[in-house]
Amino acid sequence: MAKVIKTEEFIIREEPFYLATDRETEIFEAAYRNRIPVLLKGPTGCGKTRFMQYMSWRLKRPLITVSCHDDLTASDLVGRYLVQGGETVWIDGPLTKAVRTGGFCYLDEIVEARKDTTVVIHPLADDRRILPIEKRGEVLEAPPEFLLGISYNPGYQSVLKDLKQSTRQRFLALEFTYPDRKLETAIVMHESGMDEEICGRLVILAEKTRNLKDRGLIEGASTRLLIHAAKLISAGIGAEKACSVCVAEPLTDDHEMLEALAELIRSIF
Amino acid sequence: MAGTGDKYSDEKYAGEFREDFIRNLRIDFFDDEEISAVLRDLDSLDSRIRQKVFALCHTLSHASSSLVPNALKRIKTASGLLPGRDLERWITHAYDILDRQGIGAFADYISGIDDEALRRFSTPEGLPLREIMAVLETYIRGISGRELKIAAARETYTDTSAIFLPAFVNRYEDRDRNYLIYKYCAALAWAQISQGTVTTDEDVLNRFLKEVPAEPDISAFFRMFPDERMAIDIFSILEAVRLETFLEKELPGLMREVKAVKRDFLNDRPLCPEQARKSAFVEGLYRLYLDGEPAEEFQNLTGDIPGDILMLKKNAGVEESMKLLGIMYDLAAGLAGDYQPVIFDPLLCTIRPQEVSLVLKAGRRARRQRLEGMITKLLNMPDFEQQKITLRRAGQQKLPESGKEYLLIKGRLIELDSEMREILQERGMSGGIIVKGADMGGAGSPMTLTDLMEEDEVIEESAGGVKYDEWDYKRGGYKKKWCTLREKNVHPGHDPFVEQTRKRYSGYIRVLRKRFELLRREPRLLRRQKDGDDFDLDAVIDAYSDSHAGLAPSEDLFMKYDRQQRSIAVLFLLDMSGSTKGWINEAEKESLVLMAEALETLGDRYAIFGFSGMKRSNCDFYRIKGFEEPYDGKVKRRISGISPKDYTRMGPPIRHSVKILKAVEERTRLFITLSDGRPEDYDAYKGDYAIEDTRRALTEAREQGIHPFCITIDREAGSYLRHMYGEVNYIVIDDVKKLPNRITEIYRRLTT
Ligand SMILES: Nc1ncnc2c1ncn2[C@@H]1O[C@H](COP(=O)(O)OP(=O)(O)O)[C@@H](O)[C@H]1O
Ligand SMILES: [Mg+2]
Repeated sequence: MAKVIKTEEFIIREEPFYLATDRETEIFEAAYRNRIPVLLKGPTGCGKTRFMQYMSWRLKRPLITVSCHDDLTASDLVGRYLVQGGETVWIDGPLTKAVRTGGFCYLDEIVEARKDTTVVIHPLADDRRILPIEKRGEVLEAPPEFLLGISYNPGYQSVLKDLKQSTRQRFLALEFTYPDRKLETAIVMHESGMDEEICGRLVILAEKTRNLKDRGLIEGASTRLLIHAAKLISAGIGAEKACSVCVAEPLTDDHEMLEALAELIRSIF
Repeated sequence: MAGTGDKYSDEKYAGEFREDFIRNLRIDFFDDEEISAVLRDLDSLDSRIRQKVFALCHTLSHASSSLVPNALKRIKTASGLLPGRDLERWITHAYDILDRQGIGAFADYISGIDDEALRRFSTPEGLPLREIMAVLETYIRGISGRELKIAAARETYTDTSAIFLPAFVNRYEDRDRNYLIYKYCAALAWAQISQGTVTTDEDVLNRFLKEVPAEPDISAFFRMFPDERMAIDIFSILEAVRLETFLEKELPGLMREVKAVKRDFLNDRPLCPEQARKSAFVEGLYRLYLDGEPAEEFQNLTGDIPGDILMLKKNAGVEESMKLLGIMYDLAAGLAGDYQPVIFDPLLCTIRPQEVSLVLKAGRRARRQRLEGMITKLLNMPDFEQQKITLRRAGQQKLPESGKEYLLIKGRLIELDSEMREILQERGMSGGIIVKGADMGGAGSPMTLTDLMEEDEVIEESAGGVKYDEWDYKRGGYKKKWCTLREKNVHPGHDPFVEQTRKRYSGYIRVLRKRFELLRREPRLLRRQKDGDDFDLDAVIDAYSDSHAGLAPSEDLFMKYDRQQRSIAVLFLLDMSGSTKGWINEAEKESLVLMAEALETLGDRYAIFGFSGMKRSNCDFYRIKGFEEPYDGKVKRRISGISPKDYTRMGPPIRHSVKILKAVEERTRLFITLSDGRPEDYDAYKGDYAIEDTRRALTEAREQGIHPFCITIDREAGSYLRHMYGEVNYIVIDDVKKLPNRITEIYRRLTT
């Protein structure tokens, strides 16, 4: 059987919780109206996926998300023939589906996909806005409502995980950074249901760990980690323990660094 | 901390070392009952110290087992008297005596120490700063986001680039609260830097200064007060009060804990009724800071001042403190007598205006020097050789853009950025002219300053080695271009070392080849291939469906295991220092022969280099086999010619290896070092300094996507290894004879 790709297709009916940090919603809308594909850059867990969900709700388009991985083939995106009950049936891949329905297609962590897979998005991502489906001898033209979004974390400094110029130069790039203290606190509060006091402290802790990026940590704590910690705290786990298992340990294995992080946690909680 | 062998893992404790230990006891005529008594004692110890104690007993048993029961008895007594950490410290101390002064001194020490002496061992010097320095530095970097160093001094203060803390804190018996004092002091110093106490804004200063010097800083402010010391003391307190609000917001946990500590310090302070009035005033202020509330006597002395001070807690800026200082100072100055400086506890971060001023001035000077250095370099560069540059940059020549400006100097055309413009404005343009891109009509090939620096480096390299930075942990920064490394060739040896080794290990080599061949077959499955070992079901279904649909089905229907997919390059770096003389050097060489056999079978690309040298200007890097070179007679003769040389400065060869590995295109880049332990050079490259630089160089490697693995051949692997290698994987091989077999196994595990 063909590989099953994790595809979440839906028209989002309820407003996703999203707090804008800058003018990103405005810019995204402009990109959408001008049919420019969008690249979301930024560290993991800082709201890229959530933003995409929010925008598709706002613009009332279905959102199809594909989490990229190194086994993802072009057919996985475009589609393939299958035999069902003696008949061949063409099954659209997620990308094709989004093009046909005029939805948003979001390729999450695009650099994880193989290079030869990445190229199928090229004709869709320039002014041609077409998707050639070779097997069917068909060329789909994307309707104005179609939008291609990709995400990418420039933090990994590996040469292998870099986005090729030929790909990135087709996109409008929105840079996502961690929201400011007040905003991030509000986000963590909303997502976890914890009080401002605790969430504010978690955000301070996160800032401190972000200071240690490239000084022993590969990356600082993401908003996502803070939400995890806040949820554990609201479940009755002590703050120090929750921060240790949700923030410190996921960030590093280095003993000295863990010790320093433990001191930071203690100083804040 | 010698002798805390990491090799005594719990597993080992239960396994081979235990057997060895029992054997030693037997040899020394321990009967079964005595042996089981010893083992029972060991097993009953707290798991935290068990390994260390076992290691100690094991070492003792090699010399004289009769000391073992006695040592155990003392340790048992000690564990009743000392809390866990102190106990561990005491055991380490005893172990150190054994290591450094021998068995006799150890026996004396163990039998001589009585309960009283033991008890005194509990936190006698409190918590030494050096014990927590590394963690505290990371802590403060996390908090501040700055490269602040920590250093020891008699008082707590900061000069804006370093935080000075007392070398010991011994207010409390327990480590935690002593540690807390350190953290609080460091945080307070950071607040002084980040909230403008010592880094006061020029605008703010100008509002207070009567005459404004060229480069105003806080020292000019304090010079306005006739009794400078009293002004500084008052101000330090006012600022400590003000900054509490900030710290409470940033570090609420710390501030909550520190409240009790402040109270303890307050209770410690003797009341001196005969204190001079001025000093009593400052003392009162200080007590107000410790207490959070004004004491009664103080109130009588000062009227409504405490209220003003507490106002500082309402989000005040440094300006408010400065204003208040004016009022306070006048008040104090009006009191009788001379000011006898009040002695503060380490809890107050004092201000040292002169030192702050020096650092700030030095910073400004360094900035200017860098700029000037750049322009000087530019003027002194050899005349531009068109050819060399075109060769290096063939195909990617830029043309001048009409909207930009360029500096034309010594035949070079340099793109002007804001930094460059700044230098030129300062220095004038002797020898160069500025041209507009539009006027050039597309002629010439401009370069950026970065290009220029690069070119500079290439020239330097060919002339006399490559320069590398070195990490100085004391300053928390790099010494720039500190070491010079030169690549050299090993003198070929003439004995048939490789052949002999292959003969000696012929049986093992056969096994080795088999194992590594297997490895070759392990790699990943390739789908949709033209040919292969099996059908790819996905592809077949697709093709079937396609042909049903009337399409030409794909012919890529197979899967196969890919052999080329293994994309690994490995660089071996060999310690060729004098200390490897003898068995270690032999074992290293034998290991290389076996590794070469294995890698030739496997097809992974590999390179072998050795290093040694003396002092930072002579780091030698010996090529034994480059990545491009085949494993041939020449390489074999070089292996045979490997011989121990001088010292072990680990940093530069690691950095150079990383540079070489970075140029390799393989997906996985592995870096294996083989050494006999401590990095050490003839000069100051020793101890902590050498360890920290090595650790840093390895971290740099990791950060560049390279996987270092360190093999240490050392019987007495010190506890520093864990720190030195940090997050990097390493293994200690205690018996050099095992190295050749182990290394191939290690490699196999590392790459599967
Ligand atoms: N601006 C934001 N508004 C609302 N929630 C956010 C925001 N930024 C981050 N989050 C929260 O952080 C979590 C992780 O974000 P996500 O979008 O999954 O990260 P990314 O896709 O960048 O890795 C989300 O589940 C959401 O709860
Ligand atoms: Mg995501």
